[in-house]
Amino acid sequence: MIRWVARLYPTKWRNRYAAEFDALLTEIAPSLRDVCDVLGHALRVRATASIEACMMSAAVSGTPLRIPVVVSVTAHALMISLVVLASWGYVTPMPLHVATAPLPPPTPEPPPQVTDARVFPDAGSLYSSLPLRMPVEGDASRLYVAEGVGINFLSLPDIGATYRQGNTEWRVWPGQALEGLIVRRTLPEYPRAIKTRGAVSVFVEYLITRDGSVKVLRTSGPAPFTSAAQSAIEQWVYRPLEYENRPCEVVSRVEVRFDSEFAESGMSR
Amino acid sequence: MSDPTILILASLADGDKHGYAIMEDIQVFAGIRLGPGTLYGAIGRLEERGWIRAVKSESRKQPYQITAEGSQRLKQQLTLLEQVVRTGNRRVREA
Repeated sequence: MIRWVARLYPTKWRNRYAAEFDALLTEIAPSLRDVCDVLGHALRVRATASIEACMMSAAVSGTPLRIPVVVSVTAHALMISLVVLASWGYVTPMPLHVATAPLPPPTPEPPPQVTDARVFPDAGSLYSSLPLRMPVEGDASRLYVAEGVGINFLSLPDIGATYRQGNTEWRVWPGQALEGLIVRRTLPEYPRAIKTRGAVSVFVEYLITRDGSVKVLRTSGPAPFTSAAQSAIEQWVYRPLEYENRPCEVVSRVEVRFDSEFAESGMSR
Repeated sequence: MSDPTILILASLADGDKHGYAIMEDIQVFAGIRLGPGTLYGAIGRLEERGWIRAVKSESRKQPYQITAEGSQRLKQQLTLLEQVVRTGNRRVREA
């Protein structure tokens, strides 16, 4: 096949190199790449020979050498023009200003379904006026305050962590993220029998079971206050929670703050 | 360095060779296998420029010899390449 391709070389070239080229081809085992190589060079030599012949005849006949150049340039210009015209219908100019539809107004978060009449959601401004420890700066916790008792959702360092015990699996979620799922919340009663003055914080870690009921896992703080917080939080009810379409149990933590001053004044806003 | 004319001149600088010997030599010293079309295209150009010439031979295998002009041209090209290599190496070290 490569010998057939080699016949594409012009006669002048074959007269000069055919014998030794054939000797070379007998020594190598020509591959398809070699065939393509010979084909490419044969066509190139043939094209070069044609151009040289044209130039020679032009020189002999006295035809100005500019004519082939002019013809070539004209042909290329014509081809480019045709391509541009053909693509005209397919290309549309890019608009300078893209009109964008106005963004829809943000969907407001559904209000928490709380049944305790004393709870005031979004009471951050009220809470900030209380003489209790201020929330950490940048903490977007939502606060509930009533009669000297406030609930602060903690920024949990292990959000999304999974704890396992036997076949039971708990996921840690911040209480704030669960607000849309709460069905009933009861605020702790201030333990009025206690004579402690000032503000006291207790921390409660609780488990939301698969049926939505709440079980307190552990508490931290003075005993009378932790008991008050625990008994209230264990009355909370959530909708059954799911993770990846499977019922799951969730662990969360809250800080409950008791303030004697506001409990005595009965301030509830 | 993949210019076949320089490779062929470098091969013939070591002595006269025919087409197949040139091809084998280049594959050994440069790791490049020239196709038969590329080889004879370059041989044709070199012969036209007078940088190589065919040596009389009874065999079908036509040996070629580098001319004085070809040697001069090869030296110029190698000097230029050497300068490129030196500069490239220095810049790579500095980078």
